[in-house]
Amino acid sequence: MFQIYCPYCEELREEEEFHPKGQAHIVRPANPEACSDEEWGDYLFFRDNPRGIHHELWVHAVGCRKFFNVTRHTVSYAILETYKIGEQPSVTAEPAVSESTTSTDDVRQGVRA
Amino acid sequence: MQRYSGFGLVKHALSHHEHWERQWRNPTPKKQYDVIIVGGGGHGLATAYYLAKEHGITNVAVVEKGWLGGGNTARNTTIVRSNYLWDEAAALYEHSMKLWEGLSQDINYNVMFSQRGVLNLGHTLQDMRDIQRRVNANRLNGIDSEVLDADGVQKIVPILDCSKRARYPVMGASWQPRAGVARHDAVAWGYARAADALGVDLLQNTEVTGFKIRDGQVYGVHTNRGDIEAKTIGCVTAGNSGVLAKMAGFRLPLESHPLQALVSEPLKPILDTVVMSNHVHGYISQSDKGDLVIGAGIDGYNGYGQRGSFPTVEHTLQAIVEMFPIFSRVRMNRQWGGIVDTCPDACPILSKTPVKGLFFNCGWGTGGFKATPGSGHVFAASLAKGEMHPIAAPFSIDRFHSGALVDEHGAAGVAH
Amino acid sequence: MSESALSRVNLFDSRADHASVAVESPLAYSWQRSGAPAPSAASRVVLREQTFLGHLILRGGAIVLDEALREVLDIGLPGRPNTLSWDVSGERSIQWLSPDEWLLIVPGGEAFAVERRLRERLADASFAIVDVSGGQTLLTLEGEAVPELLMKSVVYDVDPSHFPVGKGVNTVFAKATVIVRRSGETRWELVVRRSFADYCYRWLLDAGEEYAIGVER
Repeated sequence: MFQIYCPYCEELREEEEFHPKGQAHIVRPANPEACSDEEWGDYLFFRDNPRGIHHELWVHAVGCRKFFNVTRHTVSYAILETYKIGEQPSVTAEPAVSESTTSTDDVRQGVRA
Repeated sequence: MQRYSGFGLVKHALSHHEHWERQWRNPTPKKQYDVIIVGGGGHGLATAYYLAKEHGITNVAVVEKGWLGGGNTARNTTIVRSNYLWDEAAALYEHSMKLWEGLSQDINYNVMFSQRGVLNLGHTLQDMRDIQRRVNANRLNGIDSEVLDADGVQKIVPILDCSKRARYPVMGASWQPRAGVARHDAVAWGYARAADALGVDLLQNTEVTGFKIRDGQVYGVHTNRGDIEAKTIGCVTAGNSGVLAKMAGFRLPLESHPLQALVSEPLKPILDTVVMSNHVHGYISQSDKGDLVIGAGIDGYNGYGQRGSFPTVEHTLQAIVEMFPIFSRVRMNRQWGGIVDTCPDACPILSKTPVKGLFFNCGWGTGGFKATPGSGHVFAASLAKGEMHPIAAPFSIDRFHSGALVDEHGAAGVAH
Repeated sequence: MSESALSRVNLFDSRADHASVAVESPLAYSWQRSGAPAPSAASRVVLREQTFLGHLILRGGAIVLDEALREVLDIGLPGRPNTLSWDVSGERSIQWLSPDEWLLIVPGGEAFAVERRLRERLADASFAIVDVSGGQTLLTLEGEAVPELLMKSVVYDVDPSHFPVGKGVNTVFAKATVIVRRSGETRWELVVRRSFADYCYRWLLDAGEEYAIGVER
C-alpha cells in the first residue's frame, strides 16, 4: 500500500488515486520513419526491469490528473522521490559498476536482443 | 528410484513409514555439465527431465538459488487450460495439456491433475462475441471448447449468481471440460524426483551471479558455489529473467509485476469447477483441501517484492462476491504474491539469444503453471538440438522487432 | 475587445429552463426511486442538493485567470493546491483542481453571463472555459457527523484537523470519484458527476443511516 506524494497537489495521497504507467523518461524517436525495426521495437517494447531503483511514470488519475515521475525501489517498494514531468531524478541507481563477476573476456557491451 | 505404488504404501505402513528413501539427492556441483538449467521451478525441472528422458542428455545440472519449486510454482492458482485464440499459442498450451493428461503415470508421481473444467464467463455482448470467436478458433485447433448460455452455466455452477439482477449479469461462458487444476508442489517435486532418478544434479542454494561468455559463446556460469561450465545453458527463471539477461548483456521486453492470490478457510465441497471472469476480474476454484483459491490481475507497477497492494486484494474479493454472493462471509486465510514476468503480447519467450548457447524460457506472465510440461518438453528439445522446436519457434525474442506478435491478451485476460 | 476572440467560440446559453423546457437535476431519478428521509431532531447529517448552479471549468495560466476573475467576480484565484475561496456573499466559489485548472461555481443562471464576461476580459490569452453545469451537481452535507460519514466513503483523510475549512480535493468515493470540499465548521460539500449521482446518493443514505441522515428538498 503506497502513500504517494503528488508533486502537483503537494501532499501525500492514497495509492487508489493513482495509476502506474510504466517506465519514465522514454523518448519517442524524433523521426519514426527513419527508425530501423530494431530501434522501433526497442522503443515500443523494451523496458528497464531493474531489481532495485526504478524511475516510473504515474498519473494522479483521481486527483489533479497530472502525470509525474516516481523513483521507487522495486524490491523494498520504498518511494525515494517524486518529481514533475520534465525534471530529472536526484536519486538514481549506482552507475553500472561490474554488476556481475563476469570476466574481462566476456562480450557484454553492444549486444541487444 | 523407488517406484511409488499402492503396494509400496502398504509395505511401508508395516514399518511405520520410516524407511521411505529421499526423493532426490543433494549432490555437490561438478565442474562441468553438458547442459545447465538456471532455475529450479516447474519449468526448469520439467526441462531437465525431458532432456534426460527424451534426448538422453543426463549430464545436466539444475541450478536454483533457493529451493526447488519455491518461486511461482509454489505461488500460483494451479489452473490448467489450453483455450488460447491464436494457432501458435493454442499449439503450445494444447501440447502441454496432452502431457498433463499422462503426467502422473509418466513421472510416477501423483500430481493430482483434476480435469474439472474451466468456465470463462461473458458479461456483455462483446464478451460473448469474443468467446464465440475464441471457441471457434479452439475447435479448429482440435481443442475441446464450447459456448454455454446463462442456463448452461447455472447448471454447472448452481451457486453462481446468474440472475438478471446482478450488476454484471452472466450472459454465457466458454467451457473447456478437459481443463482443470493440478497440485502445484507435486508437479515440481515429481519432475525433480524423476529427473534426479535419470541422473540430473539438482543444485539448491546455488545462485548464478554471472555468465562466462567468450567470443559471443557462453561456456559457463559463476555461482556462489564456484564456477560451473557448460556449452548450453537454459535460463528458466520467471520474474528474475530480466536480471539474468542483464548479466549476459542484453535486454528482454519483460516487466516483472507482483501477482497476488489468496486462499480462504477450508469449506465443504461447494465448487467443483474453475470459474474465471475477465470482465468482473477475478477467478476462483476450490482445492481438494477445501480452500477457495482466488486470484485476479497483477498490480500495475513493477515489483520484485513477492507482495502486492491492498486495493488489489479488495478489488479481487469484490469481484468474487459479485459473482458468488454466497461467499460474502467466507474468511480469507492467507494472501501472497509472486513475481510474474509479463511480455507486451501476453505470450512467453522461448528463444535463442544474442549469446550463442544461451537460451531463455521466460515471459509466461500470469499463466506459466498450465504450460509446465509443454514448456519443459519443447525447451528441452530446443536445447538438445540447438534449434528451437517448431512449437517454440514463434515465441522468439525476434518477434518484438519483426512485429510478428502473438497477441493473447484476450485469452490471457484476468488470470491467464 | 474583441469580437474576434468571441466569435471563435460558439457561446450560447445552455440552460434549458430559459427555453421553458422542464429541467431535472441529476438526483431527480433518485428522489423518485430511493425517496428522501425527512430530517429530524436526531439527524446528525443533513443532505441537500444545490440544484442548477452554474459550474465552469477554467483552464489557463494562473496569473491571467486571477486578474480576470478579480475584475469580473471580485474573487482571487486560490493559489495553493487543494484549496478554494469564496466571494464576499459566499455564493460564488473557485476551487483549485490542478495546476492549470479551476472549478468556478456561481448561482444558477449566472454561468452564461460570467463566461461571456470572462471571455471578453481574457480576450486573446491562452485559456479555456467549459460550462459543465449539466454534468455535475453540488450536494451539501451539514452536521457534526459529516466527517464520520465521509470517513466511511472516501480514501482521503477527512479528519477535521487535516481538512480545514477552505480545503477541497478530488478523490475516490466508494467506487466513484467526487470532489470533497469543506465550506464551514460543520458544512461540507460534494461535487458529484451526473452519472454517479444516484449511486453516490444511495451510498450516502446507506452510510448515513446510523446518523439518522435527513434530506432537505
